[in-house]
Amino acid sequence: MEKTEGKGPLSGYRVLDLAGPLGLHCTKLLADMGADVVKIESPKGDEERNIPPFKDDVPHPEKSLYFLHFNTNKRGVTLDIEKPDGKAIFLELVRKADVVLETARPGTMESSGIGYQALRAQNPALVYAAITPFGQAGPWRNYKANDMAGIALGNLLYLAGEPGEPPLQPPGEIAYGMASTYGAFGIAVALYHRLESNKGQYIDVSMHECAGHIAGYFIPTYGYTGEKPARASRKGEETDLYDPYRTKNGYARIFIIPVEQWRRLVDWMGRPPSISGPEFEKMAYRRKHPDIVVGAIAEFCSRFTKEELYDEGQKRRIAVTPINTAGEFMNMPQTKERGIFVDMEHPAVGEYKQFGVVPRLMDTPGRIYRPAPLLGEHNDEIYRGELGMSADDLVALRAEGVI
Amino acid sequence: MAKLPLEGIRVVELTTGAAGPTVARVLCEFGAEVIRCETRLRGDGHRGEDPKLWNKKPDFMKLQRGKKSFTVNMQTEKGRKLVYELVKISDVLVENFGLGILEKWGLNWPDLKELNPKIILIRVKGMGCSGPHAADLTYGPNVGNTMGTTYLWNYPGATTATAEPRTQHPDFMGGVTGAFGVVLALMERKKTGRGQWIDSAQQEIGASILGPKYLEYSVNKREPRPEGNRSLIAAPYGPYPCKGNDRWCVIAVYTEDEWERFAGLLEKSGMKRDVKFATHFQRVRHKDEMDKWVASWTKQHDPYEVMEMVQGVDVCAAVVQDVEDQFKNDKQYAATGYLVRMNEPEAGEMVTENVPVRLSETPGRVRGFAPLMGEHTHEIARNLLGLSEEEIKKLDEEKVFY
Repeated sequence: MEKTEGKGPLSGYRVLDLAGPLGLHCTKLLADMGADVVKIESPKGDEERNIPPFKDDVPHPEKSLYFLHFNTNKRGVTLDIEKPDGKAIFLELVRKADVVLETARPGTMESSGIGYQALRAQNPALVYAAITPFGQAGPWRNYKANDMAGIALGNLLYLAGEPGEPPLQPPGEIAYGMASTYGAFGIAVALYHRLESNKGQYIDVSMHECAGHIAGYFIPTYGYTGEKPARASRKGEETDLYDPYRTKNGYARIFIIPVEQWRRLVDWMGRPPSISGPEFEKMAYRRKHPDIVVGAIAEFCSRFTKEELYDEGQKRRIAVTPINTAGEFMNMPQTKERGIFVDMEHPAVGEYKQFGVVPRLMDTPGRIYRPAPLLGEHNDEIYRGELGMSADDLVALRAEGVI
Repeated sequence: MAKLPLEGIRVVELTTGAAGPTVARVLCEFGAEVIRCETRLRGDGHRGEDPKLWNKKPDFMKLQRGKKSFTVNMQTEKGRKLVYELVKISDVLVENFGLGILEKWGLNWPDLKELNPKIILIRVKGMGCSGPHAADLTYGPNVGNTMGTTYLWNYPGATTATAEPRTQHPDFMGGVTGAFGVVLALMERKKTGRGQWIDSAQQEIGASILGPKYLEYSVNKREPRPEGNRSLIAAPYGPYPCKGNDRWCVIAVYTEDEWERFAGLLEKSGMKRDVKFATHFQRVRHKDEMDKWVASWTKQHDPYEVMEMVQGVDVCAAVVQDVEDQFKNDKQYAATGYLVRMNEPEAGEMVTENVPVRLSETPGRVRGFAPLMGEHTHEIARNLLGLSEEEIKKLDEEKVFY
């Protein structure tokens, strides 16, 4: 086993991870920053082991690429915390832990006898975080919500897709991601506070409230002006300056705010008379005349590849970006030079490229050093090595279905 | 009120757009004093082009609430020197200008570290601070482009570029992730007494939740394509049409128990269960037919009725809310006080989103409205920089405080 020492600002901290999909990115952020995250799975394995895609499309609990990504750097044990022996082992782990993260329905941990108050009695310095769909209070607190439900209530789903067709979910789990990120931030603040106070605390994160932050400025704008945005068509009936433009090989976006960038674009385009007048220097005017502006830019973009537009546009200090596939992103010179992906190997998946650490702390960077755990991979290391149990104990606990 | 956990931490902000300001805003909510350096030479993207509206923009308010505004012309040597004095007595510098601007101002890391070895610098950039595209100019809508979100957020076989909404969604997770990094650096500083700098790349933060897509490419050697509202582990799954114009409710059924309760609910209102939908496997196979069956029920009801009935049998359901719904129909937001009302000095009443993470001992809060342009310039000059009234007057006249 590799030591976590010297692997980032959270090395030396132990996190017990009871999270489902809603909190996986949270403990991954902590693990990537050097925390020793111990993932506690039920003896039959966590549900996210069933989430596709799978290596070679073969469904198998050790081949879920979803599980592989979100559990990098974590150690894994199996434990049935509902059983009395499982609970006792869990409490022993809590005594040596700094953080517990869970995503269970409010009240579940309490009714199992391992709620915050019970754990605090074991370890007063414990930072306990619960990330739940709606938080611990309010009329919807016991409702179920997945990522799509989160962004649906958060007004991001309503805006995605063609009018008349069903609203469309994003490719990644944005609401889970935002809730997990706020969870990690809250945990970091609590640990910072604990450096002086030596006191732990309880952290309550609502995915529903986190999701409300993602959609942008619609809540403040509606609250002030009553304006409410609609789902926008991309099929040509209406056009927006900032929608992607077709190029020779795909699409690119040109997003302009400062007037200098507008001038540079017009110069680059050879100052076409239709958009070179001073009135077009005002964004408000451009937005009022999308037919003229979009028409001229679209004609210009159709003459280049998206990479040509990207390289030349950025050279000219204009915010141009190519609309890339996942593979194109992995092969971008920028991606390679920054070493965004790390070569890893996993017993069931083989060699793969793991997405790296964000953000980058230059003196104490986090790093990727361990693939996601196999089911129960670290039972022996933790139960025997750290809790001092015997080999016989493990056999008996396994027979009982505790581990 | 309880002492805030980041009280005593001073943050200087040299930013534009949203991702940088969000880093500082999140720190502010937990007690940091944030001094936003800006200039009247040009309104920030969110203050807008029209000086009459600088203090009346709701988007600006969301990003800047609780901060102080210090107007300083960085094109003057005196202006830059004043900012050097400020960073000497501060803990964090947040910046997100194009690469090269901070260097031009003499605030690059080697210079900054000389001025104040304890300071933490966070550089928020679309593409990060290294590599051939480090100097790229990007805004929120650019960030999802390069790494796959924009392309993948679409219907299967789509002929359009994207179905991604016209929002700046990557800015916000990027900002909170940056704030996470700053707190880690503050923890480290308690041990070592030294600051450090943080390279926070927006596109990388956005990409960090797309990991499974990159693995599909690197492990299965296959380019992921847009999948629309597909799920293989839940059925029914997705937004179903409800009574009314463009009204939808998301429903997601994951287990056989959930299906039994959900189908039982539909049967109670007279729907006939088809044997074809008996198992998850069958439901995924006959998805189109099953979706029609579910929709024929949801269409009879208002989306909130659907949500309440389906949640009533303990199955995931959520209205596809627009912003008006969030104000008028979201009982949870109403009960938890999520929509915070504030009186802005010039704009009048504005509404903003509350802090979505609650710490029991050291909670954060929305600490006040967004600063008027230059509201705190003199106060900072007097109290933090120790300038006399005469000096202040002169700097005003010379348009250094501008």
